Amino acid sequence: MIKRASVARRTIATPVILSVILLGFALLALWAGSKPFNQTIIEIFLRVILVVGLYIFIGNSGVISFGHIGFTCLGAYAAAWLTIPPMMKGISMPGLPDWLMQTQLPYWGAAGLAAAFAAVFALIFGLILMRLSGIAASIATFAMLAMIITIYSNWESVTAATSSVIGIPIVRNIWPYLIGAVIAVFVAWGHAISRTGLALRAARDEPTAAAASGIDIPRERLIAFTLSGAVMGLGGALFAHSIGVVTPDTFYLGLTFTTLSMLVVGGMGSLSGAVLGVVILSSLIQVLRWLEKGMQIGTSTLSIPNGLQEIALGVVMILILIFRPAGIMGNNELSWPLARAEKPDHGGA
Amino acid sequence: MTRKSIWAVALSTTALCAAPGWAQDDKIIVGFATAESGFMQAYDKPAQDAAMIRIGEINAAGGLLGQQIEVVTADTKTDRAEGAKAGLTVVDAGADLVVVSCDYDFGAPAALAAESSGKVSFFLCAESIKAGIQGVGPNSFSASVLAGVQGATMAEWAYNKKGARNFYRLLDTWTEYNKGICDGFDYMLPKLADANLVGEDTFKNEDASIAAQITRIKSLPAEPDAIMLCTMMPGAVSAIKQIRAAGINSMILNGSGVDGSYWLSAVPDLSNFYVPVQGSIYGDDPNADVTAFNATYKEATGGDPSTQYVYPGYVMIDVWAKAVERAGTTETAAVVAELEKMTDEPTLFGPRTFNSEIHHQNRARYLIVETNTGKPAVVDEWTISAPIPVADLMK
Repeated sequence: MIKRASVARRTIATPVILSVILLGFALLALWAGSKPFNQTIIEIFLRVILVVGLYIFIGNSGVISFGHIGFTCLGAYAAAWLTIPPMMKGISMPGLPDWLMQTQLPYWGAAGLAAAFAAVFALIFGLILMRLSGIAASIATFAMLAMIITIYSNWESVTAATSSVIGIPIVRNIWPYLIGAVIAVFVAWGHAISRTGLALRAARDEPTAAAASGIDIPRERLIAFTLSGAVMGLGGALFAHSIGVVTPDTFYLGLTFTTLSMLVVGGMGSLSGAVLGVVILSSLIQVLRWLEKGMQIGTSTLSIPNGLQEIALGVVMILILIFRPAGIMGNNELSWPLARAEKPDHGGA
Repeated sequence: MTRKSIWAVALSTTALCAAPGWAQDDKIIVGFATAESGFMQAYDKPAQDAAMIRIGEINAAGGLLGQQIEVVTADTKTDRAEGAKAGLTVVDAGADLVVVSCDYDFGAPAALAAESSGKVSFFLCAESIKAGIQGVGPNSFSASVLAGVQGATMAEWAYNKKGARNFYRLLDTWTEYNKGICDGFDYMLPKLADANLVGEDTFKNEDASIAAQITRIKSLPAEPDAIMLCTMMPGAVSAIKQIRAAGINSMILNGSGVDGSYWLSAVPDLSNFYVPVQGSIYGDDPNADVTAFNATYKEATGGDPSTQYVYPGYVMIDVWAKAVERAGTTETAAVVAELEKMTDEPTLFGPRTFNSEIHHQNRARYLIVETNTGKPAVVDEWTISAPIPVADLMK
């Protein structure tokens, strides 16, 4: 017990610093007072939730999953089912069971249930998938994503198929998203320093030795998979509330690769990397967008051609990966600048 | 990278994200939250150009309520999350009217952003009932005509003017738009005495071959008088080509989505092919002003309109400006009230009606374009005998 507490005390700085950075963004949005900028920050928080969700599984297990956005889809639709007024559900999704049809929850309640819903599916899928490892596991997770999207794109009476599902209450207040992101960060931290998180990282680095030491690798992976499924589901639910519309194709390859590349650029093995990857790339995207529109600097307007944003982003990502192959943070975590000399890194352990 | 430089990165990104907010009042501003990049741009740009022509005309004639209309734009990048931001951007820039993407799915996030800010929103050319009160809210409108009206128009016109009695229904299940056309057809057919549905079938836009469907048409005791083809580009061309190649010469009825001559070279000498359009791009519109508009459009953009989907953009600014003029203000509730009073309001492209139940056209005058030996031309015009009830459109 004493040892566990000391691990928590030694590493608590990381989630606290990350939360403070996120809080800084929220305050910036309040200070700017611009609606589109507020929405941009909300989007950054949503990506933080999703990328941290990916990190919980990918970072700790070393298995790249292409399927996690499927859980985001499950979460988003669960939030839609739970929050749309019954009358509107009756028209667009007549096949819902009666008890669900009559349910209308506040967004935070729905987000919690959506996370639980996604976690249940992650558990079911994980029971099968977590026996695989390496590239076979990655391909299987991709198959799972394709399956979820195909079902949601065709189950007309329950998901309205490819039609946009509307009537989801829109939440433009920044605090719920900040809280969601902070919860995700603390969940990821809590898991990483827990017994199962440490066992999983041991299995990532030395599977044979870990198994020989009595670690049940599929079990530890399953725990991480379920937990990350829950975080992805929470992200999906909040995503649905951020724009008020969900469609299955939103949660497919585009979002999968955006979030994965943010994780890779930030540093796959590090929670700080997951958060900073999102923050840095999103900020870069935003600056390039402003430049595309033309930015007033002194008396002259600086602007770049439309479409250069995507190219510049690609170039920056390539440069980062050339000079920092393990991502911006590598396996390191942010911690108090003064304290760092006295303690070893835990992140890559 | 050292810890210090990581901190520097973290702090500088934080500092870079500062953006000033601004708000403008006592100006009349139209905000376009439309796609300037991505595939929707091909649909949004022509209609937006037409809207700009109408804005230019109003400004040249002294403006609206004595003020020049100003325009602000934001790119949705054909992305839903960006669409919501684009909607908020133009609202923040003081837009009194928020114009959103042509397609319901891609325009909805921006329209919802406008709705939640209490602004009037207009879809450039969405043809789903959801692009309006039923999907977005009480301040949302669409500038085009419902897909169902197109199917109903073709059925009723073919029955009355071409003596068609035996209909065959061939639906491409790819989009809501396609389903909408066939829903309108289904609504109209039982109302036509002794008209029969001799068969029906479905295919998918991406199907390379519809041989199975064609075999079923060929095995009917007699060739149907008309095939109601509910599909759109790009699959439409292949389907039409295969139907004709199989020797089926029934008249083919379509929605407006296949208007335009750009694809006709793929099916040489196509005949007996009918499309409903809001205005003619072929220079033979019964209203000379439409032909004059086509010339203006060419002058402004360097090309002729490629399909009839240019026109709703013009209609949109036209009806909105009239409503603002009558209300004497751009205040949302007053403008919506004036729009809802419009009954058969004349526009360049036929009369338009809005009311408190539907912010879309469930009845409209359509020109019928016939393609004969590969040459499209206006042959008739038709308005369905009664508006399609909202309940039938909500299916």
